[in-house]
Amino acid sequence: MSTAQRTALDLDRLRRERPRSRLARASLLGLVALVAYSWLGGDIALDDLFSTRRAENLARFLAVDAAPHALRGTDWGCSDWLAFAHGLWQDRGYAGLLQTLAISVLAIVLAGIAALGGAFLAARNVASPTPFGDAGRPGWPAWRVVAPLVRAWLVLLRAVPEYVWAFLLLAMLGPNAWPAVLALAIHNAGILGKLGAETVENLDPRPLSAWRSLGASRAQGAWLAALPLAANRYLLYFFYRFETCVREATVLGMLGVVSLGYWIQDSRAKQFYDEMLAFVVLGAGLVLAADLASALVRRALRRGA
Amino acid sequence: MSNPRPPPDPARRPFPVTPRVSVAASLLVAGLAAWLALDAPLARLVPESGGLAVAREFFAAALRPALDYEAPVPAGTPHILAQALAAARRTVVFATAAMSVALVLGIALGFLSTSAWWSGELSGGAGPLRRLCARTLGPTVWAAARLVIVVMRSVHELLWAVLFLAAFGLNTAGAVAAIAIPYGGTLAKIFSEMVEEAPRDAAWALRGAGATPLQVFVFGLVPRAAPDMAAYSFYRFECAVRSAAVLGFFGFPTLGYAIAQAFENLHYREVWTYLYALVALVLAIEAWSGALRRRFVA
Amino acid sequence: MAFAGRPALAALDLVVEPGEALALVGPSGAGKTTLLRLLNASLAPTSGTVCVDGQRLDELGPRALRAVRARIGFVHQDLALVPNVRVLVNVLSGRLGRQGFLAGVRSLCLPSRAEVARAAAILERVGIGEKLYQRTDSLSGGQRQRVALARALYQGPAALLLDEPVSSVDPARARDLVELVAAISRERGLTLIVSIHDIQLARACFPRLVGLRAGRIAFDAPTGRVTERELAALYSLEGLERVEPAPSA
Repeated sequence: MSTAQRTALDLDRLRRERPRSRLARASLLGLVALVAYSWLGGDIALDDLFSTRRAENLARFLAVDAAPHALRGTDWGCSDWLAFAHGLWQDRGYAGLLQTLAISVLAIVLAGIAALGGAFLAARNVASPTPFGDAGRPGWPAWRVVAPLVRAWLVLLRAVPEYVWAFLLLAMLGPNAWPAVLALAIHNAGILGKLGAETVENLDPRPLSAWRSLGASRAQGAWLAALPLAANRYLLYFFYRFETCVREATVLGMLGVVSLGYWIQDSRAKQFYDEMLAFVVLGAGLVLAADLASALVRRALRRGA
Repeated sequence: MSNPRPPPDPARRPFPVTPRVSVAASLLVAGLAAWLALDAPLARLVPESGGLAVAREFFAAALRPALDYEAPVPAGTPHILAQALAAARRTVVFATAAMSVALVLGIALGFLSTSAWWSGELSGGAGPLRRLCARTLGPTVWAAARLVIVVMRSVHELLWAVLFLAAFGLNTAGAVAAIAIPYGGTLAKIFSEMVEEAPRDAAWALRGAGATPLQVFVFGLVPRAAPDMAAYSFYRFECAVRSAAVLGFFGFPTLGYAIAQAFENLHYREVWTYLYALVALVLAIEAWSGALRRRFVA
Repeated sequence: MAFAGRPALAALDLVVEPGEALALVGPSGAGKTTLLRLLNASLAPTSGTVCVDGQRLDELGPRALRAVRARIGFVHQDLALVPNVRVLVNVLSGRLGRQGFLAGVRSLCLPSRAEVARAAAILERVGIGEKLYQRTDSLSGGQRQRVALARALYQGPAALLLDEPVSSVDPARARDLVELVAAISRERGLTLIVSIHDIQLARACFPRLVGLRAGRIAFDAPTGRVTERELAALYSLEGLERVEPAPSA
């Protein structure tokens, strides 16, 4: 297998002149530097993690705190443990689970509805003086600023974490379910709005402009042509976000809304780490069930597409 | 699925009930049921007079974030902007450290939970070792990796943080681990999905050139999924910044700590200063990843 | 090199000598791609045997099978390149079959001067030496095809299989490409098997034609002895059952 090894090409010149992206190189260098700085900059105390104090803390947590308090110091068996778990479930667990689920469902449905409007107003092919690439006389020129404004609004909604939104709303609305629901709905409306707008912008322009040339108005085009075309994709995103919603709904309870998180925070404050652990595991179970349900629905949607 | 269906009778089915229509309808019903199950009377949506004042004051403050402290502070306290900058820096540091661990976890677990490299599909040939890999070893490792990923993902980062707080006490490495664990699980899940769905043509070609399944996986499949993986990692980095900020509510020195402090003192303009710092961080990362995407995907 | 195949598509006997050049002709769906993939050991026949260098492929272990594959270069119809890396990397990946895992990582990430020179020489031979460091997806369809060819040549193969190399380029370029492949194969003494549906091109460039129709060999003869009638029969729609022959692996 002798192949010609010689070449008339100036390999050094080709190498020197190879297309290079300064942005990519700078990004890579920047990321490496950032990671190095984050670990070596002194903010993260790794040595502190392995001190004797930490070890004692951990040993106490595992040996004492995590065991059911009612049974501590006794010679308890499996049935005792089951009775303890059953008591927790009847007492607070079941109700907390249901509340968490209800909060996340209501929040994601509200977010889905709100984001639908936002998605169309933020999509540059809908919200423009010439919707759907209309070649005719441009409409109201103020449409030019609608999409950027709505986009900025959506950025603000999603850049603020749901936890912070809940913190604010709790101060305004007092302790009921709304602060948690609205906080989740606001943040997710920002995310779904952005994803929805991208979906609408990526639609095949031909059927849309065909509608337009048949004389459909902007609203008719959006609701009757673009929405059915974008619906499946949007629903897929919707269910992805539902999965995160369930996780966050648990956590938001820590601020004082009665979901699982409330009981987690409550037992944490009382230093009943056994109960805290039980509620965390319960929340994980809910998240698993929701992920499973969402995966099944998403598969059905993909098939029906 | 491919059963021949009788043609629909147009008179009886005036409106086609596709999966998405039934899904959308049941969602509305579910939302209503959830509302009925909750303690959420519509009347409570309107802030009471006290709450209304808070709301008004709070949103008015959005237009004029604090450029100096709203109340006297002890001598020697740095300027509020310096304070915001320092908190933002620590937020990024926590998020970066967590993401670097999450990426390692995500790549390792994502690899183990991908069936492509052992399923035999990319290998051909049937030695005893390969058979063992495809029938026993591969599925076992795959299932174990999936289980680990599920456990990591099913507990929220704040709950991991609470668990670590209880187990170790307040420790910065605990905060990093709290973010890194669920994020690592999520990255692993998404990475493995991306690799499984990547086009297989180059992989087949390398297989045909005699490459081993591992080589086929690394050089034929992973590069096809790499741009998506990078884009998704950037998105998760943005999420990690938000999560790191929120960890501040539990005493870690990030933006959330400053926000909670200002809130408790009712210094809403200071809250907005810190919130804008967070928004700026998120926007900066979005702009960065957007520039990279335009350069490489367009 | 000798093959005696009896694949599920139909009874089929084919023997190819080392250094020979032949064209597989026939309408689409005749089983040309399937036959090529059998020869490359990418597919295993449901019945019958494929022999390469006197070795029965079904008797080989994975390692020996990979060694056989490494000696057969295959240019796929859809090219099967990794689009988002440099041309050099695609070419270098042709040699993975002869390398261990770590050696492969090393040569793809940090190729030695000799490896780069070798890849460059092959790229130059196929006419796109200047594109060495370009990103593969920045190239035109014809150039990409040459990258795929260069990758197969970089393998250091004893045989070269091309699946419909002219389906994605215009007729003038198609002829250039097929002539180039034939010339390179002669230079290096490679066995060359090309599936092609353009009869004129096949007759102009190859000394031996094998006609495939509905998974059977319709004729197998030196180009000069293939008659117009045989060719016409090969492409007539009459009596042609359009079943996609796909033997399960």
